[in-house]
Order: sequence, then C-alpha cells, then structure tokens
Amino acid sequence: MMAIIPATWDMYDMFQAVIQAPAYHLIFEALLIIWIFKLMFSKAYAPNKTILTEKEKEELIQEWQPEPLVPDVPDDHPVLQAMNNNIISGRPDKVMVINGKSVVNMASLNFLGLLGDESIEAAAQKALSKYGVGSCGPRGFYGTMDVHLELEERLAKFMNCEEAILYSYGFATIASAIPAYSKRGDVIFVDEGVCFAIQKGLIASRSVIKYFKHNDMDDLERLCIEQQKEDKRVPKKAKVTRRFLVVEGLYAKHGDICPLPKLVEMKWKYKLRIFVEESFSFGVLGDTGRGVTEHYGINIDEIDLMAACLENAIGGAGGFCCGKKYIVDHQRLSGLGYCFSASLPPMLASGAIQSLNIIIDDPGMFGKLRNNCTLIHEKLSKIEGMRVVGDPVAPIKHFSLSEPSDDRDLDNRSLEKITQEAMQRGLALTPARYLEHEEHNLPLPSIRIAVNVKLTEEEIDTCINIVADSCQAVLSKSS
Amino acid sequence: MQVGTASGCENPTSYYFNQRGIWLTYVLVIFLAHLFILSMPFFTTAIAWTLTNVLHDIAMFVILHVTRGTPYMLDDAGTARKETQWEQLDQGKQFTPTKKFLTIVPIVLFFLASFYTKYDKVHFVINASFCALSVIAKIPWFHGKRFFEINKW
Repeated sequence: MMAIIPATWDMYDMFQAVIQAPAYHLIFEALLIIWIFKLMFSKAYAPNKTILTEKEKEELIQEWQPEPLVPDVPDDHPVLQAMNNNIISGRPDKVMVINGKSVVNMASLNFLGLLGDESIEAAAQKALSKYGVGSCGPRGFYGTMDVHLELEERLAKFMNCEEAILYSYGFATIASAIPAYSKRGDVIFVDEGVCFAIQKGLIASRSVIKYFKHNDMDDLERLCIEQQKEDKRVPKKAKVTRRFLVVEGLYAKHGDICPLPKLVEMKWKYKLRIFVEESFSFGVLGDTGRGVTEHYGINIDEIDLMAACLENAIGGAGGFCCGKKYIVDHQRLSGLGYCFSASLPPMLASGAIQSLNIIIDDPGMFGKLRNNCTLIHEKLSKIEGMRVVGDPVAPIKHFSLSEPSDDRDLDNRSLEKITQEAMQRGLALTPARYLEHEEHNLPLPSIRIAVNVKLTEEEIDTCINIVADSCQAVLSKSS
Repeated sequence: MQVGTASGCENPTSYYFNQRGIWLTYVLVIFLAHLFILSMPFFTTAIAWTLTNVLHDIAMFVILHVTRGTPYMLDDAGTARKETQWEQLDQGKQFTPTKKFLTIVPIVLFFLASFYTKYDKVHFVINASFCALSVIAKIPWFHGKRFFEINKW
C-alpha cells in the first residue's frame, strides 16, 4: 500500500518539488503541452494529395472523353469469322469434322493424340459417375478430392520432384506462380519471347522486369552484370532483393527451345532463381516426355520451379507446378489461382492420370513425335515463298511468309487466305493469333502448325502438299 | 479477401489500432507493467517510474517505428514491406485520433514520471530524451523518412 500511495509527508515533498521545478524542465514541459494543443486543434489530412482549384477541375472535366463501354468491332473481324465459320462437331482428333466436312487437324495442340483416346474417356466417365461433374469449391474449402492428391503425387513422381501442385486453369498456373514468389522491389530477368500468361504473371508481381533478347545469353549476362553493379552500390538493398529468371522450355510464340544448360550456369553464377514454363515441352521433349530438363539431360534439382499446363500434350485441362516441397507448398496459401478458383473437375483429374499412364507405358511415342516433327519441318522448309521458324524437334511450327510486307494486316490476311484454301482442300490450319496491342514483343504473323504423333508419313505427305498448293494459290494470286 | 473485384480489402495493420478496446488495453498494459515494476522491493518509486517510461518508449518505438510490413496481406505484392507500422496506420493520414492518442500517451507518461521523480536532473535527462524520441518520430515531417539507410530497404 505504501508503494502505491505515498504517505502524506511524501506527497508534501513532491508538491514542494513541483514548485521548485527547474526552469529547463518547465520549458520542456511547456513545449510538450504546446504540441498537445497543436494536436488537439489539427484536423486529420492525407499527405501528398494534390488539391485542385475549381478551374483545374473544370478543365479536367472538359478534357474527359468517355470511352465506349464496348468498343466497335468490325463484323468481318477474323476471330469472329473463325468462330462462326469453323464449327466443330465431334472430337477434334487427328481427323475432325468442321461444318460437316471431314478434315485433317493440324491446328489443335494435341501433340500426343491423347485427346481422342478411349481409355482416357473411360477413366473420366468412371470418375464422372463417382464424383459428379464439378467440385464447387476451392482446394482449401472442400474442393480437394482423392483424385487431385493422386494426380499431384503422380505428376511429382513422373517429374522426379518432391511435390506438385494442381491448378484448375492452365493460363492461371504460371500467372499465379510468379507473383506468389516475386514481389515489389524484386527483379525478374525474362526472355522477350515469353507467352502471354507469363507476361500477365510478371505484371501481377509488381516487380522490376528486365527483358533480354530472345534466347540471347550475352544480353542476359549484360543485364546480370548491370544488376551486380547496382547491388554493389547499395548492398543493403541487394540483401533484400530476390532475383528471378523466367523462361519457357519450348517457346509457344517462336517454336524454339531455351538454351537451358547455359541458363542454369547463369543461375549459379549470378544467384538467380530459375522458373521454367513447360506448357509446350512437358510431354513432348525428352525420351520419356519429361520436358526440357530431360532434353538436355539436366538434373531436375537445378530448376527451382517448373510450371506446365495439362491442356496441350496431356489433352486435359488445368495445370501444375512442381519442384522442391518447401518451394511448391508456398503456393498453397499464396498462389491466387490455387486459393481462389474451384478445383479441377475430378473427372478431368482422372483423365489426366490415365494420360500419364499412357505416356509411361508407351515412351516410344516421343521418338515417333520427334520424327514427325523433323519430317514436317524439313518438308515445310522446302515450300517456296514461306519459311518455318523454330526448332526441328518442336511440335509447334510457326510458318510465316519469307518476305513479310510492312503491313501486318496484309500479311495476316494472306495467311488467313492460305488457311481457308487449305480448309477447302481438307486440312485445318490456324493463324497464330495474339492480342496485338497487349503483347510485349509481337512475333511476325504466322500460321501455327501443330504436329500430331498419330499422323502417318502418307498423311504428312498429303498435308504438306495441301499446304504447298494453298500457299502457291494465294501467293501467286497476290503477286 | 476479394481478389478480382474492384475493391480489395483494407490492410488490417492500418486500422486495428483504431478500436477503443485496443486503446484501453494499451493503457491497462502500461498500468499493470508499472505496478509490476513498482512491486519490486529494490526499486524506489522514482526509479520505477523512470523505468516504466523508458521501457514503454522503447517498446512502442520498436513496435511502431522499427517493425515493417504486414502479416495479414497475401496479395499486396509487397506494398507494405517497406512501411513501418506507424506509416501504415490510417493509410498514412496524419493527425488522426489514433495517432493523436499514441502521441499523447508518452507525453502524459513523461509528466507523471517527472512528478514522481521530483524533477530530478538525472531522471529528467533520461525521461526527456526517450519522450523526445517517441514524439519526434511521430511528427508528420518524419513520415517515410529514413536516415543513414537505417531500415531503408
């Protein structure tokens, strides 16, 4: 009790002390009291907010031109035309039916021909009758079913990784994975030729993005050395800056393969974390389809994260990332596409498991696919007036005009005509389409040819003849 | 969290200190800590008050002006990473009720400590310097300022 309330004589002493308080003390207390009064009578305000005068406001209102909610689209826009004119009935397998006409399909990215496989359909149907169609919930909210876990485990085992994580949409896979790790203030080195999904992921990460020239390692090294100098200048900043390297295994926009051994060397030399997007190389490159790492014989542990979508070679839907457990697990709470989308429909997961079974049981198909790719590449390169871009072993070929004009629209229209000609002759082709105003680095207009493993040599011959005839028909007319 | 909608949710660090329950808790914690220090038989009343003041100022300086970032946001892409807790309060607005309250508490503590130390010179130097540290760090001019690259990156 004594301690809390001092005895009266003690209090008396204390009030004496107040009266005899030294001047410096009183001045300091006065300053504090003034500051309290200042606080009391100040209104709250947000700093750095520009305050506009009435005149400036008027001017801004005058200047404003409302943009239409829906921009005008011409009725003959090629995408609309393609949608209206190319209506598929039945499976878009090697041979498909468009507008009642049976044509050979070199437009679908069905490299392994798994899209028309009956055992996959049977597996999906079995899952359909067991689980129903959808899952109606993200993975964290009663959306996880045993097939999802099984598929993740199978993918991890197939890729020789510790763990895999399953996304329900291929585009969202890499677009969620990049911003899960790279944040404001971090630096991402990225190839100019990356696909649209990666570009969106880069923007979402808010990081500093440094593009190097497509597959140009000297340019990458130049950027790395620049960064190193900057890091030496401000070491404290360098300590908290993460550096990433994002590349595609097989570039969708160019059809060529990244120089992975050199990239891994750069990764160790400049301490980068390397992410490889394998949407087009997974199930395509390598002797057993394990992607670009197997193609170059590089240990999978050298790559920090791999992402791929299951919508191309596997012929399903969704996507996955794989890598070390501690890296991949981070996405289970931070991968926005994983946390906030309903999980993959279980029947598609079952279908993907069956696709994996087929790939594992028949590794011979990758050799066959490679043969088809090189054969088609060789034959396409012989066609006059056109050239084929990319690597011979790539199952995606960009077939463009050898002498492109300055007018992009004109070239697009010529290529469009070639596809229409080919369609009349019984071959389905498609021009590569881009959101031209949003792409970072727009490649030349091209026809995107997808190679299917099921094509026989005779069929390839007929197809290439059709392509050559259509090209000749269109190019001779225009010149 | 509403990803994909026009309005995301607010960073919880910016408003949790606005609750009156937090204000009351804060004052109660100071009071209980003071009672605890006072109950130590080897501290005189003067030392107990100076200790309360100094410990409070150091603790609040670390909590508000040294600690950065926010533990709650997944999708802010590192916006708050470089901002101290004080800078995140009320989204950086100045002279809001919470900020006024947090500034006045160390001043009142200083007055109490001065009174109970009988305006002793040594106690004054210690208490005044820590009080000044708390108050100066909260002046609007110092918002977002970093000195000698401390806490900068």
